[in-house]
Amino acid sequence: MPSQLKKTTEFEPKIVAFLCNWCAYGGADLAGTSRLHYPPNIRAIRIMCSGSVDPAYVLKALLDGADGVLIAGCHLGNCHYHNGNYRAKHRIEILKTILQKVGIDKDRVWLRWIDASEGTLFRDTVYQMVCEIRSKGPNPLRESWKMWQNTIGGWTPQALRLSTGELK
Amino acid sequence: MVDAYLKADGEILKTLRRFLGNLLRKGIVDYLLVPQEISHSRTLTQTLVKDPAHLENANPFSPVMPINSAAIVSSLTSDKPKKKLGVVLKPCEIRALVELIKLGQASLDNLVIIGTDCLGTFEVEDYARYIDDMEHTKEKMGERFLIECRQSIVHSDTDYPIPLRPACRICQTITPPLAHIILSQFGSDDGVIIRLENNLAEKLNLEIRESPNHEKQVAQILNRHTALREKVFTEVREKMETVNDFADVLATCTRCYACQSACPICYCRICFFRTETFEPESERYFRWAEKEDALRMPTEILLYHLTRLNHISASCVGCGMCESACSRHLPLTTIFTTVAHDVQKDLQYQPGMSLEDEIPISAFKEPER
Repeated sequence: MPSQLKKTTEFEPKIVAFLCNWCAYGGADLAGTSRLHYPPNIRAIRIMCSGSVDPAYVLKALLDGADGVLIAGCHLGNCHYHNGNYRAKHRIEILKTILQKVGIDKDRVWLRWIDASEGTLFRDTVYQMVCEIRSKGPNPLRESWKMWQNTIGGWTPQALRLSTGELK
Repeated sequence: MVDAYLKADGEILKTLRRFLGNLLRKGIVDYLLVPQEISHSRTLTQTLVKDPAHLENANPFSPVMPINSAAIVSSLTSDKPKKKLGVVLKPCEIRALVELIKLGQASLDNLVIIGTDCLGTFEVEDYARYIDDMEHTKEKMGERFLIECRQSIVHSDTDYPIPLRPACRICQTITPPLAHIILSQFGSDDGVIIRLENNLAEKLNLEIRESPNHEKQVAQILNRHTALREKVFTEVREKMETVNDFADVLATCTRCYACQSACPICYCRICFFRTETFEPESERYFRWAEKEDALRMPTEILLYHLTRLNHISASCVGCGMCESACSRHLPLTTIFTTVAHDVQKDLQYQPGMSLEDEIPISAFKEPER
C-alpha cells in the first residue's frame, strides 16, 4: 500500500467528504486509530446525519471546483435518526439525475454507507474514490469565468420560439 | 359524481356567476375565492368574495393566471380556519395545492375545490394588449374572448388569437385531477357541464345529463400538447450536453428571485439564498476573484438554479409561473418540465394527482433496503 501512496506530480484530486457523526465519521476515526493509511485527498466535514446534506452543499462544492464529493452515512436501517439516510438516498438520487441532465459528471458524487466499525471500508472507499477521480482529471467547473465568457446568451427552444419570441 | 348541465341563458359567464352565487346563497360555502375581471376587463385577479352580489365580474375560466392560486389557498388555510371556503382553481393550481397539502402548507378541511377545465392561459401583458386592440364595443370582452377560444380550440383545431404561455402549450393536465365540483369547458357548446356529487346537484336544482363529447375533446387537445412536448423534450435533451450548454440558457440571469417568488412549490418562508450565507463579507469575494482570476457578479447563478431544480423537481407541476415571472424571459418552463419529467419518472411519482401518493423524499419504506 505505501508505495501507491507516494506523492506524484500528476493531478491530485480534492474531495469534499460529508461524514455522518454516528457512522462514517466513526469509521474514519477508527481508520485513524487503527493506523490505516489512506490518501490525504479528502477534506472531511462532520455532519450530524447524511439526511442533513442539502444538495445545495454538494453543488456548491462541485461548482467551486471540488473534484469529487463523498457523502457517507449509516447503513440503511441503522440511521441514528430512524430514516435520515433514506432521505439522503432519495436526495442524492434526484441530484444525480439532475446533474446528468445538465451535463455535469454525476460520478463525481459518491454516496456510501460506512459503519463506525468499518475502518477498513472507509479506507478502501477513499482509496477507490481518489483513484477514480484522479483518472477523470480536474473538475471542468473550476474555470467558471471562462465558461460564462463563452456562452452564446439566451438560448430558447426552437419548438416554442415562434409565438412567444415574436411578442416579447 | 354525476354530470349536470347548466344551459347558458344568453351568456355563459352570467350563468356561471349565478351558479357560483348560489353556492354562497345556499350556504355550501361561506367564502369564495374566484378570479374577477378588473381594469376594464384588461386583466383578472383572484378575489375572496363573501357577498354573492359582488360576483358581477367573476370569470372562473380566467384566460390569465397572474399567480398560481395554490399559494393564496395556502395562506387562507394553513392555520385551519373554521370557515367553509370555496376555491375556483385551474388544474395546475389544484396540483400545486395538493403538493402543498402534502407538505403541510395548506389544509383540505372545510375546503370546497371548484376545479375548472383549462383551455390554457396567456401572459398578462399579451392578454391586456389583445383586449386593447379588440374592435367594436368594449363590453363583455371576457365573454367574447371565451367563446372565441372555445370555438377555435375545441372545434377548428386552429391556434388561439394570441400565443398561449409555453407551459400551457405543453400542458398534460387540462382537466382537474381532483375536485369537489368541476366546471367543464368541453363537451358542450351552448352551456357548461358541471360534474359534482349527486346530493349537491339536487340541492342546487341542476339537471343531470350525460356528456359524451367531453373525453373525446380532451383527448384531442392533449394529443396536440403531447406532440409539442415531445418535440421540446427532444430539443432540450440534444442541447444539454455539457454544463456550458446549461450556462447558455442562464447567461442573462441576474438572480432576481422572481422565479422563486412565483413558484407555488417554493414555500420556505426564508429562502436560504436570501440569507447571510449568500451575503458573505467582502473579503470572501476578493478571495474567490483571486482564485478564479475573474468572478461573475452576482455570484452563484448556476448554484441557485441547480438548487431550485433539486428542491422542486419532485413536486414540479409545470405551471410555468417561473417563466412568466422571469424578467429576462429565460426558458425556465422548458428546463424545469424536462428535468422534472425525468426525475419524476425515476421516482415513479406524479405530483399533485392524488392525495394518497406520498412525496418520495418524505416517504420512508423499509423494504427499500
